[in-house]
Amino acid sequence: MELHPDFADTQQKQKQHFHVLAVDDSLIERKLLERLLTESSCKVTCVDSGDKALEYLSLLDSQEIEYSTDLSSSPPSAQQEAGYMKVNLIMTDYSMPGMSGYDLLKRVKMQGSSWKDIPVVVMSSENVPSRISMCMEEGAEEFLLKPLQLSDLKKLQPHLLKSLVHPTEDISTSNDHGSDNNMMHDITTLNDSDNVLVSERKVMSPEPLERRPKINGLLVV
Amino acid sequence: MDVMIQLQRQLREHSAFLRKEGYLDDQFEQLQKLQDESSPDFVVEVVSIFFDDSEKLLNNLAKAVEQKAVDFKQVDAHVHQFKGSSASIGAKRVKNVCIEFRNYCEAQNIDECLICMQKLQFEYSVLKNQLEYLFRLEQQIRAAGV
Repeated sequence: MELHPDFADTQQKQKQHFHVLAVDDSLIERKLLERLLTESSCKVTCVDSGDKALEYLSLLDSQEIEYSTDLSSSPPSAQQEAGYMKVNLIMTDYSMPGMSGYDLLKRVKMQGSSWKDIPVVVMSSENVPSRISMCMEEGAEEFLLKPLQLSDLKKLQPHLLKSLVHPTEDISTSNDHGSDNNMMHDITTLNDSDNVLVSERKVMSPEPLERRPKINGLLVV
Repeated sequence: MDVMIQLQRQLREHSAFLRKEGYLDDQFEQLQKLQDESSPDFVVEVVSIFFDDSEKLLNNLAKAVEQKAVDFKQVDAHVHQFKGSSASIGAKRVKNVCIEFRNYCEAQNIDECLICMQKLQFEYSVLKNQLEYLFRLEQQIRAAGV
């Protein structure tokens, strides 16, 4: 299989990971979640409140604007980095002082929110059916019961992959529509102790590229 | 090494004891599974955070239940937090006392709450001793293996 030289190059340089924003007021929970996610090859950012989560998301947005104005002239690595910082999933505790996980969910999924398409998963130590349906109705992808386990993270896999298929750039050429047909699924397996990493790459046509191909993340199955 | 074999046996027996007596449940095992070369002290780190957290919580709880006019909502909030953290590390007995405690908070039964407070302090200190012993054994095994 012939790879465009730039593609192979960036693939070597960058190990793309899913970026998860974890929100919980409990330090123990944050530490646990961070470990679970790192074990699943995700990049994790932890914050201790809904307010901080919104602050962080806004910060990323303003950074992306900075990057995108220079995109045409900046090196591939900077473009990758803009995508690299982007949050692919928000995992939030339900009961938090101040802004609850539910409040955060509503804010993210709000009409006109620039974060509407980021999947949100709500976690709780309490199994309250009305709470669960409230969150699902508000657009949560999953409701997970604590304490979380590695097997719970497997449930999140489809949501993470879904977030990557979403177009993240405004530039859409005819190549883009055709690219779905030309999508090459390349499954490479790497050994990382006992874990198997599966990477799925969406490769554009191999002509000289104006856009860099998106390299999707590595997931532990 | 005789010492090594003995230590490992002690560790096995102590771990089995903790499981059997309900001090720890499956969740503790999950924590141990998350420990590896990339995170070799994970369990000790998490449990240390738990100890710090718990001591603060118990202090706050003790103050809250000793008030003339007990704010049951506040007490419940502390217990809820304690329940969450104990569940997260697999501290089964502590968690169960928390569940009982919350029920009495809801019923606003101060006498039973005070009893739960004592039970909680007791279960927590027993657990702390048990875990510290466990970690000491592990440390000795590591040292003996060098």
